[in-house]
Amino acid sequence: MAISIFNRYGGFANVSKIVMEFYDLVLDSDIVGDYFLDVDMAGLIDHQTKFIASIMGGPASYTDEALERIHAHLDITETAFDEIVSLLRMTLEDFEMDPADVDQVIDGMRARQRYIVNA
Amino acid sequence: MNLERFNRMLLESAGVGLAILDPDSLEILFGNRRFIEWFPGAAGAGTHLRDVIEDADAEKMEARFASGRTYTTEAKVKVKRREVTLATTISKSEHKDMPALIMECQNISKIKELEYMIESYSKMVEKQNRSLQAGKERVEKLLLNIMPKSVYEELKTFGVTTPQRYDDASVLMVDFVGFTDMAISQDPAGIISELNDIFTAFDRIAEQFGCERLKTIGDAYMAVSGIPEPTPDHAVNIAKLAVLMLRYLRRRNEAHRQEWLCRIGINSGPVIGSIVGVQKYVYDIFGPGVNLASRMEELSDPMQITLCEDMYPLIRNEFELTDLGVINVKGFGEKRIYSLDGGRGVLTLRSQGLADALPF
Repeated sequence: MAISIFNRYGGFANVSKIVMEFYDLVLDSDIVGDYFLDVDMAGLIDHQTKFIASIMGGPASYTDEALERIHAHLDITETAFDEIVSLLRMTLEDFEMDPADVDQVIDGMRARQRYIVNA
Repeated sequence: MNLERFNRMLLESAGVGLAILDPDSLEILFGNRRFIEWFPGAAGAGTHLRDVIEDADAEKMEARFASGRTYTTEAKVKVKRREVTLATTISKSEHKDMPALIMECQNISKIKELEYMIESYSKMVEKQNRSLQAGKERVEKLLLNIMPKSVYEELKTFGVTTPQRYDDASVLMVDFVGFTDMAISQDPAGIISELNDIFTAFDRIAEQFGCERLKTIGDAYMAVSGIPEPTPDHAVNIAKLAVLMLRYLRRRNEAHRQEWLCRIGINSGPVIGSIVGVQKYVYDIFGPGVNLASRMEELSDPMQITLCEDMYPLIRNEFELTDLGVINVKGFGEKRIYSLDGGRGVLTLRSQGLADALPF
């Protein structure tokens, strides 16, 4: 089995920095920040940790059905999805991740867009 | 720049939120810029400590001060969308002989975020470990289906296994009469389902008598006793199994439309047990003991159990046996063969009880 991006970039010790930065960017964004208005910090961090771990091949994974269920009541627009993608790209690039790996992560996210965007 | 102005600037630009409280009324008298940022409500006069920290406990605070310590608590505020966790410390102070309380607020959100992240991550990993463990147990269970536990332990510990010779072992072979025709001419799925029921019943009988199913190939069923755990009763165990298999089938046939007739061959003799294959493991047994059992099965009439002189002395005291004469057995030369007709005495009664308990 190929080593996951998650492990190649130093596992949780390093990936935690991505989670923190991404968390900050998301909250500061006027496009997507409000989606997280009612979520408490513990919940949001939990969400972001799992999210980053799953898209990088860490110890979390979601089936398409689970993604659809989790996002069903959130009215996520395409604009919001695009914003998250671009914030994530920014975070990963800041983290000096190899462009090919960044593309792979972003492509993986794009591939599941239809389970998430629902407004 | 005078010192007072400098102090003032320092106070306003500090990353720490600072406030001064009236020690009696707990009213907030002053808050620096950072403090007001976190507690916008405290900008006006008459704001009480309780208005900024809901669960502030005045009595506890007094008790802490009385013992010369400070009062600390955590507060959560929302700045824009962000939840900010503040560690607050209130201490007793004096200003120009006037008693006052000083409240310091440190932003510990980052630490909290990390705490939550570690919690989230460790839960994820624990969950993953649990599912890995469950997967491992499933694999182990599957492997134990195809090889004896002792061989599995050997394989797990050393990565390889060595073939073992068992001098005292018995083997049973069963095959159904006309199975191929049954399966083709009738509903194949139904036939396989019935075969599965029968094999399951065989497994249960085998387990009762210290025998173990080694494998099935199509409609053939092979069981052993004395492998890999040696037992002095291996021959009797296998003979009991054979008798009860027949009894089970007879009773089943009475209650079912589809008749199942089998031939059974049993034999006692030395066998070699070993794992065969590297990628695809199969535990199998080899040797004359196995081949002879197979020959005996071929010689059987439908619903008959056949054995030869090699096994005869080991079971003759406990079973009814009929001498069928001497036959030239392919690969083994002349052998006297016998049919096993049933158990004697206690065995019959006990077997009857077990056969009644089996599902039909």
